Amino acid sequence: MRSYFAFTNKEFCEAIRTYKLLIMAAVFLLLGMMNPITAKITPQLVASFMPEGMKITIPEPTAMDSWTQFFKNVPQMGLIVLVVLFSGIMANEFSHGTLINILTKGLPRSVVILSKFTMSVILWTASYILCFVVTYAYTAYFWSDSSIPNILFSVFCLWLFGVLLLASIMFGGVLFKNSYGCLLFTGGFVILLFLLNIAPTLQAYNPISLASNNMALLTNKMTVSDFKLPIVICCAAIASYLISAVALFNKKQI
Amino acid sequence: MMDTLCIEHLSKSFGTHKIIDDLSFIVPEHAVFGFLGQNGAGKTTTMKMILGLLKPESGSIKVCGETVTYGQTKTNRYIGYLPDVPEFYSYMRPFEYLKLCGKITGLSDQKIKCRSEELLLLVGLDKVNKKIGGFSRGMKQRLGIAQALLNEPKLLVCDEPTSALDPIGRKEILDILCQVKGKTTVVFSTHILSDVERICDRIAVLHNGKLALCGTLSDIREQHKRDGLLIEFSSQADKEQFLSFPQIIPLLTNAENTDSSLIIHTRSLEKAESAVIATLAENHLLPVKFEVQEPTLESLFMEVVK
Repeated sequence: MRSYFAFTNKEFCEAIRTYKLLIMAAVFLLLGMMNPITAKITPQLVASFMPEGMKITIPEPTAMDSWTQFFKNVPQMGLIVLVVLFSGIMANEFSHGTLINILTKGLPRSVVILSKFTMSVILWTASYILCFVVTYAYTAYFWSDSSIPNILFSVFCLWLFGVLLLASIMFGGVLFKNSYGCLLFTGGFVILLFLLNIAPTLQAYNPISLASNNMALLTNKMTVSDFKLPIVICCAAIASYLISAVALFNKKQI
Repeated sequence: MMDTLCIEHLSKSFGTHKIIDDLSFIVPEHAVFGFLGQNGAGKTTTMKMILGLLKPESGSIKVCGETVTYGQTKTNRYIGYLPDVPEFYSYMRPFEYLKLCGKITGLSDQKIKCRSEELLLLVGLDKVNKKIGGFSRGMKQRLGIAQALLNEPKLLVCDEPTSALDPIGRKEILDILCQVKGKTTVVFSTHILSDVERICDRIAVLHNGKLALCGTLSDIREQHKRDGLLIEFSSQADKEQFLSFPQIIPLLTNAENTDSSLIIHTRSLEKAESAVIATLAENHLLPVKFEVQEPTLESLFMEVVK
């Protein structure tokens, strides 16, 4: 347990000193501010670019538009930044050979995976909460009468999908030992989930809905119970990714 | 006395290329064991197998009586390892790195602090507080030794610790190894023969996956004694005169004859020596050089890896 805390501590030290923490915080803070502001000013922007004499009626923006932006920007930009930033988390250790010293000191290999996963999940959670809180605050400020149904649950679903991507990065990183392989693996995994979504029978199980159907939840087109299966599948996928990453890592020659 | 390291019938190949072929040797406690071989002879491979980082195909390795298993290696708590090019987290400072290592091996905070200070002093990094990213090769190598010695290992495994260093850096590393000699068993691989002569008491030469030579340095020298007697004269005329003496002629059956010097090979070196000295004295011939030839490690090495 002590070695787990020591190594996790080292991971945080790395995140701070290699500016991962700073980048995550900056990107997600920016996203958090952009969501409500773009929703607010889009009608004015569109109007100002209209040629003279032309009239178009744009409905007054609402709090819902702000959350539409949130659930569009975070899965697109936020998750991509997250994956790119953490794709080297295993690869750097392999390519620099820094694990040799540590492992010959008797650190169990499972601790390496778990520590890295812990750190990345905490960092993702913190940045995500930052983004959410900023969007929430601005939205409340712009549209005071805004009560959105299921907002917290919807936000949780997207968070869980982020954790799934991190678990996939762990497995891909151990499998390929380099960051491109890891990126391709995670990218391929997401594409696979999208492809599976074409089959209507699979849609009810597909964890991708945690990141793509969030707005349907807010507009009451879907209910919380529709997400139960994807959540269970997602948790199972996270667990199996981590277990296989540890099993595979135990067999890897370094 | 227990053997610290015991390797039996070890084999390993990469693809079809057999790197280690039925290798067996032992390293007794408190020995400084020089592990020699050409580049690519399999020194690093053997060391990585000792550390459980590579999986041997067959054979067994025992460290302090316990068998090494691949992957989860309990025996590593006895071992301190210095890789050929030690790599550290470049954003850490030396003290932080040793603290991390100490916590992983399970030392108490108190112990980590005092061991770290002691070792950083030993390797001369006690006043360095910059990030490891800015370290020179020699400094990294020294920090490598410090981390390897942190848990007071019974066996210190160093993979070519001096190969990439300048003469001063090399001397510093060898001095440190000399200092730890009495406390721990050292296995160190190298292809720099003078380093071996300076600090090792036992050597093994790896060639084609097998041991071409193994034993204590003095035994090996004894076994490979060439029984050569070199006499060098100031001029060729002196030499010709010397060669014409009747007492000398019987010794010349197996001699190398160059410009002004002569190397006599004989079974009974002492007899030949006294005969030569007597002849020289009688005839007032004064040689420039008179030497019993010892086999150098270099000549031994060249001989076995031919």
